[in-house]
Amino acid sequence: MNKPAYSLVPFSDFLHLKELVRLKNQTVRLNDWPIEVKGGIYILCILEGKYEWIIEQKRYVLYPNDVVALCPWQQLGSPTNTLEIGSFAWLKLEVEVFEPSGELRLGAWSAIQENDQKLMGRLMVSHAPMVLNQLKQVNDLLTKIEQELKQAEFAYQTRVNQLLDELLVIIVRQQSQQQNQRRDFPKAFEQLEKMLRDNLDYPWTVEEMATVVGLGSTAFTEKVKAYSGFSPLNYLINIRIAEAMRQLRQTEKSLTDIALDTGFYSSQHFSTTFKKLTGYTPGHYRKRQTGDSS
Amino acid sequence: MEYIITIDIGTTKVKASAFDLTNNLLGTRQGSYPTFHPQPDFSEQDPEQIFLTVLYALKGLFNDVLSKKYRPVAIVFSASMHSVLPIDKHGVPLRNAVIWADNRGRDEAMLLKNSNLGAAIYEQTGTPIHPMSPLIKIRWFGTNTSPSWLEKIYKFVSIKEYIIYQLTGQLVVDYSLASSTGLFNIHQLNWEPSALDFARIKSHQLSEPVSIDFDDLKLKKEYIRLFRLPPTIKVIVGASDGCLATLGAGVVTEGDATITIGSSGAVRVAGKQVLVDEKQRFFNYILTEGTYISGGPTNNGGVVFEWFVQQFGASGINTDMEYAINQLLMQAERVPAGARGLLFLPYLLGERAPLWNANARGAYIGVNITHERTHFIRATVEGIIYEVYSIGKLLQQYRSIQNLYINGVYATLPLFAQILSDVFGKTVYINDKHDSASAGAALLASTKLGRYENLEEASRTIKSVKTYSPNDSNHQQYGQLSEIFDRLSYKLAEDFDDLVALQG
Repeated sequence: MNKPAYSLVPFSDFLHLKELVRLKNQTVRLNDWPIEVKGGIYILCILEGKYEWIIEQKRYVLYPNDVVALCPWQQLGSPTNTLEIGSFAWLKLEVEVFEPSGELRLGAWSAIQENDQKLMGRLMVSHAPMVLNQLKQVNDLLTKIEQELKQAEFAYQTRVNQLLDELLVIIVRQQSQQQNQRRDFPKAFEQLEKMLRDNLDYPWTVEEMATVVGLGSTAFTEKVKAYSGFSPLNYLINIRIAEAMRQLRQTEKSLTDIALDTGFYSSQHFSTTFKKLTGYTPGHYRKRQTGDSS
Repeated sequence: MEYIITIDIGTTKVKASAFDLTNNLLGTRQGSYPTFHPQPDFSEQDPEQIFLTVLYALKGLFNDVLSKKYRPVAIVFSASMHSVLPIDKHGVPLRNAVIWADNRGRDEAMLLKNSNLGAAIYEQTGTPIHPMSPLIKIRWFGTNTSPSWLEKIYKFVSIKEYIIYQLTGQLVVDYSLASSTGLFNIHQLNWEPSALDFARIKSHQLSEPVSIDFDDLKLKKEYIRLFRLPPTIKVIVGASDGCLATLGAGVVTEGDATITIGSSGAVRVAGKQVLVDEKQRFFNYILTEGTYISGGPTNNGGVVFEWFVQQFGASGINTDMEYAINQLLMQAERVPAGARGLLFLPYLLGERAPLWNANARGAYIGVNITHERTHFIRATVEGIIYEVYSIGKLLQQYRSIQNLYINGVYATLPLFAQILSDVFGKTVYINDKHDSASAGAALLASTKLGRYENLEEASRTIKSVKTYSPNDSNHQQYGQLSEIFDRLSYKLAEDFDDLVALQG
């Protein structure tokens, strides 16, 4: 493997910070940059040069200040295994839990709220691979983290963890905004809708949905209402009940299982909502559909 | 006061509207639903979600829009054409509905299109042989799904039939919607045996065809209760959105045409006779017994302009689409007609009428060094309209057209309306009813309720509120450009094929 220009180890105070590397590569190196799983949350920022890499089976051309953020199971590398001339920096975080379902727990070091961590996980999975253009702050933050580690001044451990949080927040926000920049609300809404469907049992809040689209909650609510005719929560309930209707008629699952699968916290809550929307209780609806054959 | 409820089930949303018995709009509520593309050629929708959205829109209409003192007397339906949903004997959908935009039947359509059987089926059914047609889609199911799954299918219905079934427990299809399936004999008003054979189904696998004013339907008591409706409320089956939009534009007799440009578009005429075109370039759908709506659809309407705005419009995080569109249109307005000879072919989504070439692609042609960004904006709008004009010109070979009624979000924008008038060289009218399909449905219901003698009389109540008159010198210039446009559209066919092969 490549020899980094310098790397800051040991991180004995930071069990979660596995690598922080700044790499300046002055000659073309063969067989030095294969496509491989990087492990951990892997954040890489290009500093100089131009790189053509394969990230999760797709080809990307990266320029200075472009940032890649990978989930622990995702791959990155050069299609020819070659490391071209240039420089870049990365850090790798080992997190407590990160599953392909999007379930994410960073660990005790992070001050990001539990719900926001979960949302971050879902965003990273659904927008994978995250490739962000022109995000200069990432390099600035990486530099600051390096300095903190080197200087080890008063409370530097706290500072490093804060900077790591900031790094993650900036990346998630940029991802959402990049979406919105395209001015294509229908497209952003389509992606949100897919995320909702894939995580129907998750207790979504309006704020979380707004983050996915890259808007504040007020603007988001207005836009959804204008675009879909529904308020965000009503839209969510609508997809939940539509899925419940399908399961009621096409599966043998119990009402409680269907309720929980479609994001209702109890079968009582499910029944009330279902009746209010469709005029039938779930049980009655299921019977009606399999009983009469008109 | 008594009122009529119209339910228009479109491609992206359902609109529930209320009209009084003299066809004044009292209010509207709508809800949208997504289209899924599990494969690039596939376009599907969830029938349960659409049904729930119908209920949601109705509930919003009753709760927020209408006074409790008003009394609903009829519900009538309008819907997009060409959807297919297989259901089992309990009426349970066996999969998502396949909608008009779905192209999975490309090969089946190609096979039939160039055959004598295809020509015969087109003549009997009025629906162009195309992957959009349920005829083709059902054939696709027959060859691409397992026999054990096929066995479970009780009937193939449209989304509208399913919604009416959910509300009433009855399965019927109106002549109008049936006439867009490619399976229905539009001269004899029954399922066409040769088409059924090609689709490999029997007529009992389709719903019973009925007149568009059929009202022997009864809402289930659960919905009467849910919406607190009078139990005597009439349920009228209605027609397809395209036919009702023509009626709602006030066009039911020869001499007039409607131009719709929403996200896609169409030019339509009405008449007592079907239009027989040996190249199969028109559709002939039934509005009601003895009245046909004929014309041609285009894929490339406002959706193409939106594409342009997204790619080349002003950027910025908080610029929304509507604002960006208006900005560009303002700039286009300052460019002289004809965009100084810059020509745009708008075939980003392939094209239906009049080319019927799925491989057609877009192009800017005639660019010179003095052309600026604004010329491209104007050329884009003009290109979309030349395409509509090419359908109009073809129709005029068969029918004379005096008056043009325009509707749809894009056609009614001032710049689009003026260019339409200039290109066609005719006065164009915008009606007081913006949503023509719902207005047409309301006319149908009020006629059924005895308010009018017939649909023709009902259609005369539609009033124009705005007109645009053609500028002669612009018309001259557009005439020359549109001829080049037509020539290029055909001339480039081979190159389009080669490009499509590369585009994969």
